[in-house]
Amino acid sequence: MKRYELIVIGAGPAGLSAAIEAARAGMQTIVFDENAKPGGQLFKQIHKFFGSKEHKAKIRGYDIGDDLLREAEALGVKVVLNATVVGIYEGKEITVMIGDGITHYKGDAVIVATGASENMVTFPGWTLPGVIGAGAAQTMMNLHGIKPGHRVLMLGTGNVGLVVSYQLLQAGCEVVCLVDAAKRVGGYGVHASKVTRTGVPFYLGHTIKAIEGDGKVEKVTIAALDDTWAFIEGSDMTFEVDTVCLAVGLSPMSQLTKTAGCDMMANVPVTNGYGETSVPGIYAAGDVSGIEEASSAMIEGRIAGADAAYQAGYLTEVAFKTIVEANEASLDQLRQGMFGPDERGKVQTTTDEGIALSTTLLEKGYLAENEIGYFPGVETRQKGIYPVIECTQNIPCNPCQDACVKGCISIGDKITSLPVVGENIDCTGCGLCVASCSGQSIFLIEEKAEENIAYVSMPYEFLPLPERGDRGLALNRSGEVVCETEIIKLRSSKAMDKTNILTIKVPLDMAMKARFFKPLTEGGAKNA
Amino acid sequence: MRLNEHPILGTFEKGDLVTFEFDGKAMEGYEGEPIAVALRAAGVMTHRHTMKNNTPRGIFCAIGRCTDCVMIVDNKPNIRTCVTPLVAGMKVQTQYGVTADADAKA
Amino acid sequence: MHKRLDRSIDLGPYVAGPDDDMIICRCEEITKGEIRKAVHEGMFTTTEIRRFLRTGMGLCQGQTCGNLVRRIVATELGVSVGEIEYAVARAPFRPIAMKTLANEVEEG
Repeated sequence: MKRYELIVIGAGPAGLSAAIEAARAGMQTIVFDENAKPGGQLFKQIHKFFGSKEHKAKIRGYDIGDDLLREAEALGVKVVLNATVVGIYEGKEITVMIGDGITHYKGDAVIVATGASENMVTFPGWTLPGVIGAGAAQTMMNLHGIKPGHRVLMLGTGNVGLVVSYQLLQAGCEVVCLVDAAKRVGGYGVHASKVTRTGVPFYLGHTIKAIEGDGKVEKVTIAALDDTWAFIEGSDMTFEVDTVCLAVGLSPMSQLTKTAGCDMMANVPVTNGYGETSVPGIYAAGDVSGIEEASSAMIEGRIAGADAAYQAGYLTEVAFKTIVEANEASLDQLRQGMFGPDERGKVQTTTDEGIALSTTLLEKGYLAENEIGYFPGVETRQKGIYPVIECTQNIPCNPCQDACVKGCISIGDKITSLPVVGENIDCTGCGLCVASCSGQSIFLIEEKAEENIAYVSMPYEFLPLPERGDRGLALNRSGEVVCETEIIKLRSSKAMDKTNILTIKVPLDMAMKARFFKPLTEGGAKNA
Repeated sequence: MRLNEHPILGTFEKGDLVTFEFDGKAMEGYEGEPIAVALRAAGVMTHRHTMKNNTPRGIFCAIGRCTDCVMIVDNKPNIRTCVTPLVAGMKVQTQYGVTADADAKA
Repeated sequence: MHKRLDRSIDLGPYVAGPDDDMIICRCEEITKGEIRKAVHEGMFTTTEIRRFLRTGMGLCQGQTCGNLVRRIVATELGVSVGEIEYAVARAPFRPIAMKTLANEVEEG
């Protein structure tokens, strides 16, 4: 039986971060993961992360995954893939199934970073081929390059449902709608807006009534719910789809900690401030110890790894406390704001700044035009080019501030503050803020009153990439066509990391309406 | 169903194009990708029929957890096609209950 | 956790529901109605339901149906879902062939 100073179970963001921190201190570390590829869910995340620079904001999930793997490798961490931990026993002994054999390992410390699994919800037809988890859609599109289907209905408007819906659009699928039994969108408003501006409707207060088809999904019927969760008579809507995606929440996969005898609160292992469970030497980090974000998982992993190293004598108390304090401060930042763990369950009505939250955003997934003027990032100006930041909820995120070399945008020390576009700004229209906004909520406006037109620049992450001169339709925030338009400019650069900046020409009075570009279909007036 | 180019991920690295057999038919797929992906690319939705009710099942979780995508591969049943890499010449069959025989009783 | 599961409580007769034929345990094809009936036959805990009906004992080992079963049992008993215990997790946590379990390999 091979003994390791630290055994980490799970090579996702929490597990790898824990291994890196422990190995950096000198611990002999091994990581087991049951999958063929490491990184957990990270490599499926093709969007830019939120937070601040230390949280790897504005960096796409798979790049963060690559960074973690490189760091782990450089520190000599052994990562064993296709290795399933099938048992955990007294004395922190585990059995690992690799290939067609079992090997016993013993750890001085064990960090359980096994993540979470998807929740289930049932309805007639839920077992038909074509009903898949949102994670399945991500795996198929982003790891294997295959569309899960052509026409998809998404159930769930938490961040997973919102993000995967956008990814389905990027993969060329048609998303017929998003549905949620809740009355309000569960995830970030900016994630929802990315989807609604393309024309996808949200049906809150609805759920799936039935899925039908001959041997596979062919159509789905949804209906509205009353206050007793019963279907409202006459509210049925049927859509022809070939895929239904379920994004109804995650639950920790905590069987290992349960079997190991750790104190549990429901199915979550109880941990102290350093990730240690009630069984000395066994830690839990990442989603397994409570569902949050990958950014939080990485920090929790680092804290647990540091504690294991400290307890093993590889870190002095001073060094340990320094690491923990820095990480705790970082974690604390991520837990602030409207979607933080302390705010869960509360019905919010205003931002920290006292501005009324957009109820349209919460109930329909897009900002109403008459609501946006109240936010500090939005102010129309007559002269020159200027950014309009339609970021209206307090979430920990600040890459826009750093992106502007002219200091036009400020957020301040509290990274959940709404971004403010200054009074007398010197915007050069470089577009870096547009590209660095992970929520894709920044636009550049340039009014040309003499010509009665305006140029609107927006982030664009779809194929085919339009070209200068292409004609198309401008859509507003809720995806309605507001006018015909033409592409004036298309900018792409390495610094923008695959977020293209599209500039369209619209009538002057459309400057604060046009927020998305839809190319005319084949046979339309292209380059007319 | 296959993505030729993705706006963020670009093109997908795949192994060699190989042939394999599905229910007696010759199919093509990329070596190393999950069998389920090669099948989905070919439009196959049903992977098995359940033991009791003979209802069709296919990919559900795509991550090797739910076991709804299992098929008979090279004469071995209960193979999770979403996490099993395709190999040239593989024999893949729709699973009925636990065998390839659609008429066998539970 | 089970202190409220009083075995002497009278659940009343089993009343058929409109969605009793909904498949809950996908692997073993166990319906909501079967689970509800089992509760009326005296199976009040996840463990009992599992042993009586095989929910959670199929190929996926309860990965999918776990919480669905707990919710149905809780509703039938008229208690909160938190009162119904999670399925006991035992090694091996993933399906494993007997020959693999018996094949101990020393780390090379």
